[in-house]
Amino acid sequence: MLLGIWQWLSSLRLAPSYLFPGPMDVFRSLREMAADGTLLISIRLSMGRMIIGYSISIVGGLAIGLASARSRLFKETVGSLIMALQSLPSVCWLPLALIWFGINEMSIMVVVILGAIFSIAIATESAIRNIPPIYQKVGRVLGARGFVFARDILFFAALPELIGGLKIGWTFAWRSLMAAELIRADVNGVARILQTGREFNDIAMMLAGMIVILVIGLTVDLAVFGTLERKIRRRWGLEK
Amino acid sequence: MLERYAAFFMKIGFLEVSKSFIQDNNAEIKVVQALLPLSLSVSEGEFICIIGPSGCGKSTLLNLLAGLEKPDTGRILVDGVTVNGPGSERILVFQEPGLMPWMTVAHNVEYGWKLQGVPAAERCERVKKYLKMVHLSQYAGTLPHQLSGGMKQRVSIARALALEPKVLLMDEPFSALDAQTRDILHDELQRIWQETGTTILFVTHNIREAVYLADRIVIMTAAPGSIKNVVHVPFAHPRKKSSTELSAFSAILHDEIKQEVDKVAAKELGREWLADNKPPIPGETSADVGAGI
Ligand SMILES: Nc1ncnc2c1ncn2[C@@H]1O[C@H](COP(=O)(O)OP(=O)(O)OP(=O)(O)O)[C@@H](O)[C@H]1O
Ligand SMILES: [Mg+2]
Repeated sequence: MLLGIWQWLSSLRLAPSYLFPGPMDVFRSLREMAADGTLLISIRLSMGRMIIGYSISIVGGLAIGLASARSRLFKETVGSLIMALQSLPSVCWLPLALIWFGINEMSIMVVVILGAIFSIAIATESAIRNIPPIYQKVGRVLGARGFVFARDILFFAALPELIGGLKIGWTFAWRSLMAAELIRADVNGVARILQTGREFNDIAMMLAGMIVILVIGLTVDLAVFGTLERKIRRRWGLEK
Repeated sequence: MLERYAAFFMKIGFLEVSKSFIQDNNAEIKVVQALLPLSLSVSEGEFICIIGPSGCGKSTLLNLLAGLEKPDTGRILVDGVTVNGPGSERILVFQEPGLMPWMTVAHNVEYGWKLQGVPAAERCERVKKYLKMVHLSQYAGTLPHQLSGGMKQRVSIARALALEPKVLLMDEPFSALDAQTRDILHDELQRIWQETGTTILFVTHNIREAVYLADRIVIMTAAPGSIKNVVHVPFAHPRKKSSTELSAFSAILHDEIKQEVDKVAAKELGREWLADNKPPIPGETSADVGAGI
């Protein structure tokens, strides 16, 4: 339906087609990129950065969140610092990261990690605080302590709420990565398609790139997190 | 004084144990004295029931012994060793089932063993044995939210029994169950207790239940809690619920406990309560306390 309107609008030729390409042009551009392998390579590069960066964010975010839920001192020191840092868009770290870590993958990874880690930490803390006390008491009575207690009891008891935080973390990480890839003209990745499109004044290619970014974002959101969330809620009996 | 020394040689000893809580509800911070210093000794294999008005600190007493709370003053000894945190030889059954919703029934029951590194095959055997005991063999693979309230509580009891603790603490474990299930579990509990020689501390509001199960009944005063009286129940186990002796004994105890319950009610209702000359209040007094075992 929307595609139809788009096609109709572009066929009116209100603007020259190189400024306002129709869906057919965009689709052609997509197919070309798929055919010469650019698409696959770009996606693989970006997703690779996401998977590594986001995994590190999860581990770090869970650890920081756990520490601030369990220790008042930690919350009032590191926790409040994180609250403040969270309002800084993570791509603002890029210039600093470039100097610290050099012009390499590492600096992009830092932006991705910082994009997600704080929101995951904050969500973890709140999810742990909201755990019904009975699970913690039962866990302790049955003999769970220290790391095992956190892994077996806290993590799972917090999971229904935590999964929402992980999802938001993913979205932040993805946005941060795109921003970083756009600024760093020297690296390949999905956002590179937009840059190349701009260099060749190929708006169809730019639109194709945007669609790729959107589709990846939506797919992970709905297919991965949506499914996970539903599975968890069903197992916990929070849904019919 | 003798009590003090006895505590070291008994299975369980409370020595001048007191506990207060700081209640911080944003607007005001107040200190609530839950338990006044109290001492109590329990010998090995004894079945103790604890009765007292609501809010008198019965759950606090069990939580302290389970190691979930620390006493403000005094010491709690088990086998002559001071309690310092939870331990697998002391297992507490809560009023609510508290099954882990992400684990199946079987996983819930075996979790304590898993923590102790017992191999899977052996755990499986035990799960079977204890689920059978609470008549839930068919439900090993079920998730907790698919069970009824009574079934959940039975799983929670199986989970505690499966650890074969030397000291079993039960905080109104049957109060949410229907009368038939409760009858079955009373008999089961009595049998398990006789077979295993476990020391049991059992909190209840139900005098008949206490008289049916206990060797001794600890009657607590209204809050702040302390021990008002310890009553020996002079009947041999196994007991018969229908026995007239038990009924007569319950009736005597009933008056003693009612005094404490009345104190709570008088404090709540003030002069109204005195003027009306003790009308029954629902849930706590005469009709309910003795009835419906
Ligand atoms: N974690 C806590 N924080 C603050 N106050 C508490 C806490 N636990 C218990 N209390 C207070 O201690 C007192 C005793 O509570 P407790 O739960 O031991 O009573 P109880 O005898 O078990 O009552 P019931 O028969 O209703 O279960 C109450 O006044 C209660 O408000
Ligand atoms: Mg209680």
